[in-house]
Amino acid sequence: MLTGTALFLSSILTLAAIYAVIALALNLEAGVDGLWDLGVVSFVAVGAYTYTMLTVSPASAGQSYIMGFGLPMWVGVLAAGIAGSIVAFLIGKPTLKLKNEYFLITTFAFAEVIRQILTNERWLSNGVAGVYNLAQPFKTYFTPSVYPYILLLLLVIIVFIVYVVVHRLTYSTFGRSLKALRENEPLALTAGIRPDRFHIRAFVIAGFFAGTAGAFYVWYSTVITPSLFTSDITFFVWMAIVIGGLANNKGAIVGSVIFVLAGESLRFLDLGSGFAVRMASMKIAILGLILIAILKWRPQGILPEKKVKFSNSSKNS
Amino acid sequence: MESIVYGIVTASIILLGSVGFSMTLNAENFINIAHGQMLLLCAYITLFLNAYMSIVPAAIIGILVTGVFGVLFYKVFYRPIKKRGAMVLLFTSVGLAYVINGVVGTIFGTTTFAYKIPNVKEIIPGMTPYQLLIIIAAICSTLFLHYFLTKTKIGKAIRAVSENSDLAKTRGIDTKRTSNYVWFIASSLAGLSGVFLGVIGSIHLEMGWNQILIILAATVLGGLGSIYGVMAASVVIGLSMELGVLMIPSYYRLAIAFAIIIIVLLIKPDGLQSLWNKSGKRVA
Amino acid sequence: MLEVQNAKKYFGGVKAVDNVSIQVKKSSITGLIGANGAGKTTLFNMISGFIPLTAGTVIYEGEDITNQPAYKISTKGIVRTFQTPLGFPRMTVMENMLVFAKNRNAGIFTAIKTSKKVTPLEEEYIERARKILKDVGLGNKEDAWVSDLSAGELKILEFARPLMADPHIFLLDEPAAGINPANLNSLVTLIKDLRNKGYTFLIVDHNLKFIMNICDYIYVMADGKLIFEGLPDEVANADCVIESYIGKKKTEDTVSN
Repeated sequence: MLTGTALFLSSILTLAAIYAVIALALNLEAGVDGLWDLGVVSFVAVGAYTYTMLTVSPASAGQSYIMGFGLPMWVGVLAAGIAGSIVAFLIGKPTLKLKNEYFLITTFAFAEVIRQILTNERWLSNGVAGVYNLAQPFKTYFTPSVYPYILLLLLVIIVFIVYVVVHRLTYSTFGRSLKALRENEPLALTAGIRPDRFHIRAFVIAGFFAGTAGAFYVWYSTVITPSLFTSDITFFVWMAIVIGGLANNKGAIVGSVIFVLAGESLRFLDLGSGFAVRMASMKIAILGLILIAILKWRPQGILPEKKVKFSNSSKNS
Repeated sequence: MESIVYGIVTASIILLGSVGFSMTLNAENFINIAHGQMLLLCAYITLFLNAYMSIVPAAIIGILVTGVFGVLFYKVFYRPIKKRGAMVLLFTSVGLAYVINGVVGTIFGTTTFAYKIPNVKEIIPGMTPYQLLIIIAAICSTLFLHYFLTKTKIGKAIRAVSENSDLAKTRGIDTKRTSNYVWFIASSLAGLSGVFLGVIGSIHLEMGWNQILIILAATVLGGLGSIYGVMAASVVIGLSMELGVLMIPSYYRLAIAFAIIIIVLLIKPDGLQSLWNKSGKRVA
Repeated sequence: MLEVQNAKKYFGGVKAVDNVSIQVKKSSITGLIGANGAGKTTLFNMISGFIPLTAGTVIYEGEDITNQPAYKISTKGIVRTFQTPLGFPRMTVMENMLVFAKNRNAGIFTAIKTSKKVTPLEEEYIERARKILKDVGLGNKEDAWVSDLSAGELKILEFARPLMADPHIFLLDEPAAGINPANLNSLVTLIKDLRNKGYTFLIVDHNLKFIMNICDYIYVMADGKLIFEGLPDEVANADCVIESYIGKKKTEDTVSN
């Protein structure tokens, strides 16, 4: 019983870690820079498919997808990130010039179009059938009973790395310029900050990390189908950073963990077998209520954006 | 011919959904993602009532109830946080969309439903009386809305608030009252659109999400918040979605709508309205 | 130093700025007055690159900067302020200052590699910002959110920020608007101080007393056209100015100045 719970918990935390990577990416572009990106799932989807197509063996009989090079996993992860960046660049270049609302709608639209292409172009991605039995990293070195913990550990390390990178970017001159654009674009212009250039950089970096998160998602689920990449992911990650605190990187991680825990812990409620199908609906209703409540009573999130102080660091003069 | 009929019917349904969306966008200045779920809500309320009565009274009650829900949601969720800005409102509406969708899903489950409606013959190829009714209803609603916004006192007040709510307030317009009207009308129109979707197709949990995407497309194409621009855009999108499937596989209907807005945005960043509304530039 | 030649801006059929030429001399304080809608702010927006000119040229230090983008113009040493100074509200005063420091092009990869919170270069900028803040009287506010500052402090921060980037000319859009008389005096002192240090100013304002008091040379606009230019005394006594802009009530104000 105990090991069952522990396994379940580690599985939830692994999922939370994947969300945290996407949340950190989104936090940079949406929290620090003020981009209203409702299409972050595009990067995740493209990253996941790029990773899969590069690392699996060629399509067998009855399947059909491109590539299948059987490349090493780390190459796949890197390629996933690069693919995410490229998609971000292609989407961002024409739309980042537009008003916030237009940007929001276009990113949302792109995400849907990408999912439809993955669903319907069977030659590309094996369509709705997806690809199954995908490999997991370092699996052969461990017995199956401990492997879930190893995967969790690996993802915790990854979250830490992404956190450090995003944290440094946030508090660098680059991050400060992004914040300036978010706070007051006309004034930032008078400081010589070029909006399109900074926005696209933030967007492409976010695309990179969200793209790698796609690969990690494949590790976790071991299958890939287009239905994994609905706009729900976008909204869930947004919820996670709003709950955790926009523009606070620790908040992005905390928010992801709370969000996933809140959603999954509902599984413990035993309401009879007939209710299982409806549980998914009840879950999203409760998550929606949590979001509304946070926005109403704690709009800065659990961990509000940090004040950047320099007075302690260089008082010696 | 059938495609054109379908196109017009689709356009009518999009129009009913988008006009309300634009009204709230104008009046409250935020993108109300939950608007799509108002279609769903009304479709399911009508479905529930349809078990006890015929479709017409069920739909009428459903639409009125949805309108009331719209006003209630505004008062409970949006108005108290209006000062916090568009971002907070937007995500509150995302939360509300999930709540509505989740509650409806918890009650009705994930089954796909259809209304109990009498079978009818086609009047002309591809057009049943239901489709005719939908087109007529859309035209009537448009005319009614035009009359309401331009001729009645409260309609003029709504337009004044949309253009400049501070000024409207100083001129003595009761913005709370106009807001109630806006939310009631917008939600009822969404409801009507939702029932029609159920009549020509089926009722399922995804309909709200699918429709809000198309509504967003029409809104962008029409130029954010321009009600007449959105009407034109709905027709363009509805027709091109249905005519487009003659050339492209039907599962790309939605993709066609988005392809259009992406192209339009790249050429004319202010949407269709900038084609005829030159005054938009003068303000800048 | 800054010269605008035959600038025109049409919005549809409306001539917001119609054939206006002005000159701002180095280390001068030049004023631009006119009633609401006279086209002053439009002219400002054109000089600073926020809106394109319909026709005409803007020349700065002998270089044609007409219709260059705003971010480029500001790097040449031309800074502007806005009618309502908001600053960057959810950033501290110090961060507001640092945004205007010139080191923002530090690369992304450098940032990822750097483990130090404050680099030596930034250290320099921080010291510099502290000095400027102290000079303008905001020395104790460096860690405050800008959204928590008073209106007067915001106005002062508006001057302090651009000083980080060694500007040459300030374009001030209604600096005296919404300021109480006590703060106004310190504002006047601040501007005059800066001018004595060699900075140049072009100021748009409604407050005639303020403009007359501070400017070396004044341009008067009405309905998009330049209707008069001259020294403060000449402007005060010009009939057309009194007629078109000052009206009856404010005449006494002007004369008593």
